[in-house]
Amino acid sequence: MQRSYYLGLAEVGLRMPIGTHLILHEAADPAAIELDGQRLGDVIVRTAGRFNTPLAVPLMDLKLEKEAMLAARGIAGGQIDSYHFDELPAEAPAFRLTPRMLATCEAIRHVAKHPDLVPMGMGIGPFSLMTKLISDPITPVFLAGTGLTADEEPEVALIERVMELGTELLLEYFSAQIDAGAKAMIICEPAANLVYFSPNQLANGYDIFDRYVTAPMRRIKALFDARGVDLVFHDCGELTTGMVERFATLDAAMLSFGCSRQLWEDAALIPKSTVLYGNLPTKRFPASQLSVADVELLAREMLDKMRATGHPFILGSECDVLSVPGSEGEIMAKVEAFMKC
Amino acid sequence: MSTLSELAIAVEGGKRNDAKLFTQALLDQGLKPLAIVEQGLVPGMASIGEKFKNNEVFVPEMLIAARAMKECMLILEPLLAAAGIKPKYTAVIGTVQGDLHDIGKNLVAMMLKGANFGIVDLGTNVAPEKFVAAAQEHSAQLICLSALLTTTMPAMKLTVRAVRAAGLTSAKIMVGGAPVTQEYCDEIGADGYSQDAASAVDLALELAATC
Ligand code: B12
Repeated sequence: MQRSYYLGLAEVGLRMPIGTHLILHEAADPAAIELDGQRLGDVIVRTAGRFNTPLAVPLMDLKLEKEAMLAARGIAGGQIDSYHFDELPAEAPAFRLTPRMLATCEAIRHVAKHPDLVPMGMGIGPFSLMTKLISDPITPVFLAGTGLTADEEPEVALIERVMELGTELLLEYFSAQIDAGAKAMIICEPAANLVYFSPNQLANGYDIFDRYVTAPMRRIKALFDARGVDLVFHDCGELTTGMVERFATLDAAMLSFGCSRQLWEDAALIPKSTVLYGNLPTKRFPASQLSVADVELLAREMLDKMRATGHPFILGSECDVLSVPGSEGEIMAKVEAFMKC
Repeated sequence: MSTLSELAIAVEGGKRNDAKLFTQALLDQGLKPLAIVEQGLVPGMASIGEKFKNNEVFVPEMLIAARAMKECMLILEPLLAAAGIKPKYTAVIGTVQGDLHDIGKNLVAMMLKGANFGIVDLGTNVAPEKFVAAAQEHSAQLICLSALLTTTMPAMKLTVRAVRAAGLTSAKIMVGGAPVTQEYCDEIGADGYSQDAASAVDLALELAATC
């Protein structure tokens, strides 16, 4: 897509949640739909229609890539959540798209038949994927930040190897989504945050963050550039300003940050060619303590403050808005409130 | 001569090799293992917990400190067990069903361990009946539930209900996690809520004392 396309959407005041989970869970059999590309594609199309946006956002499910990585090694079912690599994995066996991944690609293919929609792809970022594959990823990241290398510290070697294998897998999965017709890819890196990278350590330099987050993201961006696909980068973790500055260099079409950031303050750090997206506190939407009127107020405040910065902006959610059983009405009322206030 | 305060400082700074050396040296000087835990390791962890609460240090520093403590405990635990010394209180902890977030839960577990609680960590995605069974098996004074997703908060409620239904009257339930609030804790009938891992220790000590 031309970058002016996203800037144009911001210009006309587009608002939208990351709302596919909400619409999926209106169906009686969401788990079956997740495996059925055609029906999943319909859900994505319906979501775009419901929220009046041309951006067709797939379901955000950051479990898929770990599942695929383990399936290639014969680990499946109930073992997946708790499985972690505790020694250097041998050469990667050939990786195959799992049924959920195939359904995601099929759904994108289905969306691509709608000329009024921008088919988008979705996936986890390399660093966040690594954190899911290691039982304690934080300590080795910290040790690497003190200067210990893979040769000196086996745990550093482990995270670096797992990250390398994970990145290879992501490049294949993202290529498959692009082959299916994705014109933009939403990459979620929620673990690239100050829980995993100590601000005290970063105060002495961002080398470790650049090596473990920015550099692998650049590899992914290079694929997107080669295929003419736009990057939408999402990170709802708690971020330092230095992290935001680094994400600003990714040349993303859109950047989406969680509630730890005041987007109107971050606007000055982001190039004008990148649309800022977000970041109403949607995880609080199920709670009655946050009323519809509160949401309207927050939305109006955010719009005013962003308008004052002059930065291209799309009002939306801090992450994907989850459907909570029993609170569906409450959540949807608040989403609708910010869509039209 | 090594001192208990040197040990506490080494633990707080995550200097695991130093901490191990100090622990061994203190044992060689004739100090009792329990004294080393209570006057060396526990103050070290309490001090880093306080700094975490005040945003002076962050999760990685906490984990490095906990790792240093853990290595010292590898030396001390066999000696404590041989002397028949067990932690005064036991806490069962886990992230509730459907939820895979574990960093906050791990920090709470670490801090409780640092305050010399016996910890039974059930991991993530833990079903209500598993909490109940573990609390019964280990005669736990505390059951600690973590939830990070609005979609899994109802599982917290179900777990509280299951614990009450099982008649575990001597165990107190503590809840926490980013979307959890004191109001929610009251609403689901849990016994206590705390916002971070360091305050969780104070609350745990308070609740366990009433068991
Ligand atoms: C890192 C992260 C992940 C990692 C988790 C890695 C891991 N090993 O835990 C990964 C990438 C795997 C992940 C996955 C998902 N995540 Co997530 N994640 C986060 C993130 C960025 C940080 C969470 C964290 O670790 N915080 C740091 C710790 C230290 O804080 P804490 O857990 O709150 O714990 C402290 C206190 O709460 C307290 N505490 C915690 N537990 C307990 C227990 C007791 C008893 C007590 C007393 C105290 C206590 O003490 C702790 C220390 O001080 C948050 C955003 C955020 N800023 O919170 C989103 C967030 C929680 N995730 C979110 C979502 C949506 C998801 C996914 C559903 C995404 C998807 N669509 O796939 C999946 C869920 C998978 C699942 N079924 O669980 C949303 C939840 C929104 C909602 N409506 O609830 C959040 C809030 C992001 C957002 N801004 O919207 N996530």
